[in-house]
Amino acid sequence: MEGCPGSRMMDLRKEQGAAAPVATGSLESQLAQWPIQLHLINPQAPYYQNADVLLAADCVAFALGNFHSAHLKGKSIAIACPKLDEGQEIYVDKIKAWIDDAKINTLTVMIMQVPCCGGLLALAQEAAQKATRKVPIKCVVVGLRGDILEESWV
Amino acid sequence: MRPYSPFAVFLTQVKSNGGWCSDSERVSNQTHKADLTGLLNRNIKEVMAAHPAVGEVLQAAQIGCATCAAGNCLFKDIVEIHALSPEQETTLLRRVAETVYPGQPVDLPGLQRKTLTRTGAHKFAPPLQELVDEHKVIKRVLALIPQFTCALGSPLNTQEQQMLYAIVDFVRNFADRFHHAKEEDLLFKYFDPGAAILVAMHEEHELGRAHIRSALDGIERGDTTCVRKHLTAYRELLTEHIRKEDDILYPWMERQLTDAQIGRLFAQFREVDAKFGDRPAGYRTWVGTLETKYNNTARKET
Repeated sequence: MEGCPGSRMMDLRKEQGAAAPVATGSLESQLAQWPIQLHLINPQAPYYQNADVLLAADCVAFALGNFHSAHLKGKSIAIACPKLDEGQEIYVDKIKAWIDDAKINTLTVMIMQVPCCGGLLALAQEAAQKATRKVPIKCVVVGLRGDILEESWV
Repeated sequence: MRPYSPFAVFLTQVKSNGGWCSDSERVSNQTHKADLTGLLNRNIKEVMAAHPAVGEVLQAAQIGCATCAAGNCLFKDIVEIHALSPEQETTLLRRVAETVYPGQPVDLPGLQRKTLTRTGAHKFAPPLQELVDEHKVIKRVLALIPQFTCALGSPLNTQEQQMLYAIVDFVRNFADRFHHAKEEDLLFKYFDPGAAILVAMHEEHELGRAHIRSALDGIERGDTTCVRKHLTAYRELLTEHIRKEDDILYPWMERQLTDAQIGRLFAQFREVDAKFGDRPAGYRTWVGTLETKYNNTARKET
């Protein structure tokens, strides 16, 4: 296989058909804020103050079957795409503002396994280096089939 | 989130099956039914006293209960806390059953675990990693103790007494006040103080402090034998104690702590750092100086 792993076409339908039955019924959303896109959020919004913040790549919530219950619950969120979004220096400033001004408790960066997604973690680490305060940062790598490939403190 | 452990499932299955035997075996062994559930609910010291070979079985699984100073953990908690792989857990329990109930057939239930929780090199969550890094500084001093207690004259001279006072000062202020301000006063508070593993760790901390008090008494009296005895005992105790914390206690604690608790702990540790200022860094420098001095001495001697 050649080409960018981030945009390479993959048909996962057969594997999904063989998987366990999908849960039905209405599941409660764990989203507790709006907006969520990193360009749109105010890093000093009340729900970021002293919060455990989740910075997720755009694709993550679509890949994970239990995103709300297992990863979003109890956290404040922002989403971004390190491959396609412009103005990423603003992202660095906003993450830095989370750490220094909103005094967040922890930052969890959730990315897909594709190489370009590593850029989101790099943005978070750059911001953390520029920040005066230090906070624990965790990186969670999500597989294309919705599995957690790696979970580590960085 | 706490990982799935088959152990509770296993215990339930053992209870519902009425023991370790299969249906046919249970009928033929009515009067000698193996009751491993009861054994697993006893503290490990009692189990090893009644069945000394169990200590060897645990040792073979790299579980060092035989050398533990306290030994008051429940057997079932020991199995859970070591986060063995399903294969290791099955092997361990089978060997224990064979040791305690020799000759009786054992029918282990099939165990399923989603992930292997003991995985070689591991980077801890930041606050726990800090404690592990502080252990490394303490271990550097422990490593010098044999060399330096062997070189002591009898009775102690003033220069030797000064060096010994400096070591006691490091132990009391870096290892005890600074490190334990984070570990005992903060980290441990996130857990049930009655948990057997924490009681055991507290007891070892107290035993270590008692050795240092006795060593200090020896220094003041110029008693080389007393100093050697208690510093050597302290080194042995703390070396094993740190190994238990790094390899068993902290990984277990990390699995229990939520991200929010990790963040709070990290912030609390920053307050401890602010309170102690640059003194911990000063001790780290002192350890380097001590190593240089004794390594140079060792080189001259060889």
